[in-house]
Amino acid sequence: MTARRPSHSTAARIAGSIIALGLLAGCATPPPDSDPEAVAEWEQVNDPLEPMNREIFAFNDFLDTYAIRPAAEGYRTVVPQFGRDRIHDALQNLKSPLVFANDLLQGEPDRAVQTFFRAAFNTTFGLLGFIDIATEAGIPAHEEDFGQTLAVWGVGEGPYLVLPLFGPSNPRDAFGTAVEWYGDPVDIVMVNMGYEWAPWARSGVSGLDRRERLIDTLDDVKRTSLDYYASLRSLYRQNRASEIANGHDRSPLTPAPSSSGAAVR
Amino acid sequence: MISRRPFLLAALGGISLLVAPLRFAAADTAPIDPAIVFVNRLADTAMQTMVGKGVPDSERAARFRTLFTTEVDLAEIGRRVLGRYWRSATPEQQQDFLRLFEDIVVLTWSTRFKDYGGDLRHTVIGLVDDGERGLTVTSRVERDRQQPITLQWRLKRTEGGFRVVDLIVEGSSMAVTYQSEYASVIRANGDRIDGLLSALRNKVADLQSSSAAPRN
Repeated sequence: MTARRPSHSTAARIAGSIIALGLLAGCATPPPDSDPEAVAEWEQVNDPLEPMNREIFAFNDFLDTYAIRPAAEGYRTVVPQFGRDRIHDALQNLKSPLVFANDLLQGEPDRAVQTFFRAAFNTTFGLLGFIDIATEAGIPAHEEDFGQTLAVWGVGEGPYLVLPLFGPSNPRDAFGTAVEWYGDPVDIVMVNMGYEWAPWARSGVSGLDRRERLIDTLDDVKRTSLDYYASLRSLYRQNRASEIANGHDRSPLTPAPSSSGAAVR
Repeated sequence: MISRRPFLLAALGGISLLVAPLRFAAADTAPIDPAIVFVNRLADTAMQTMVGKGVPDSERAARFRTLFTTEVDLAEIGRRVLGRYWRSATPEQQQDFLRLFEDIVVLTWSTRFKDYGGDLRHTVIGLVDDGERGLTVTSRVERDRQQPITLQWRLKRTEGGFRVVDLIVEGSSMAVTYQSEYASVIRANGDRIDGLLSALRNKVADLQSSSAAPRN
């Protein structure tokens, strides 16, 4: 548990200095108070670091176009759908200790129990998680992360932030990601067993899996939007808000009152 | 080894208890709300149009345009998307914008699931009637081998029935996303609406030429 991933602090320091440089590069100028509608829009967009974010975004987009997306395309070509599904299921299963912890920290015992049984079934009958039989059995998967937990605890998101390589984020979610990087139970076990490379390999495959699943969606957003940056910013923030609410914002909608919504196809 | 079986049974029992409240009673045969009928019909038509293989792109776009102009209140969505800039726009700019916005929406959505050969199953799972403020129908789209997608259809009442005023996909509202994007384009063009209009014009030309190009 101690002093694992020493090289990561270097990475953190580099990331830190990139952000510091970006801050020096300048913030966007807020609109004057005399224009309340513009001020409201400014606050709603929540992107005071836009000039810096756009530069990091351009860097990420370059990296994505020439390295990450081609790698994901290669993965799609080489590994058939069946294999990719098995890898995805296994990765999801490896995340269950983290999801379970976050379920508990968010005070969602029902979801924690679901996560627990999912992991129990998939790890055993699902052959180490490679086959997600729990979903077939009627326990759907859900995702949680520490950023969401912090949000549930009332921590504000802070300004929109584009992280190098990691993409859209904010200080709260970036902190959550860092905590999970150091605190992932599966990774800690692997490192303590002497497999120092395992967390890195896992991160690499996870990244590939995630990017492959997003190829079509991101291609489509990029192709059809006028401002790819602004579209992704809005989509990220809305999607995040909805993940944090776990659909509770829709609670008045379910289940269909009086009428038989569920029975309708 | 012997103790394994009871454990398994208990676990299965525990799971069915967990799962039971997630399943809605399907036996209910009360009359179906007209808003749900409307959404089901619209979703079926839209998915048939999108997934339909072998349909030429121009035909697909034409069908989508009909669907959008009859069932979706694009003018109202367009006004909301332009937000505070709508009032400062001249009537010609407003008309220009609505025409271009319609083109963009049709071109974007008619090709969205074009290459998706699989099955899409749409099920309504909830309805909230906010009276004056319209209705929200929640539904789920299941796809082969993928996580289901949650959709929320924001509807308003009209004389003949309903019209769609927003579609929220996995928590992301179409209107809010366009609004945020277009405001950003307008700001980047020195707060000029004409800047947005010419960007839209270029994008429409782009999308038209790429969908006209032979594919498959």
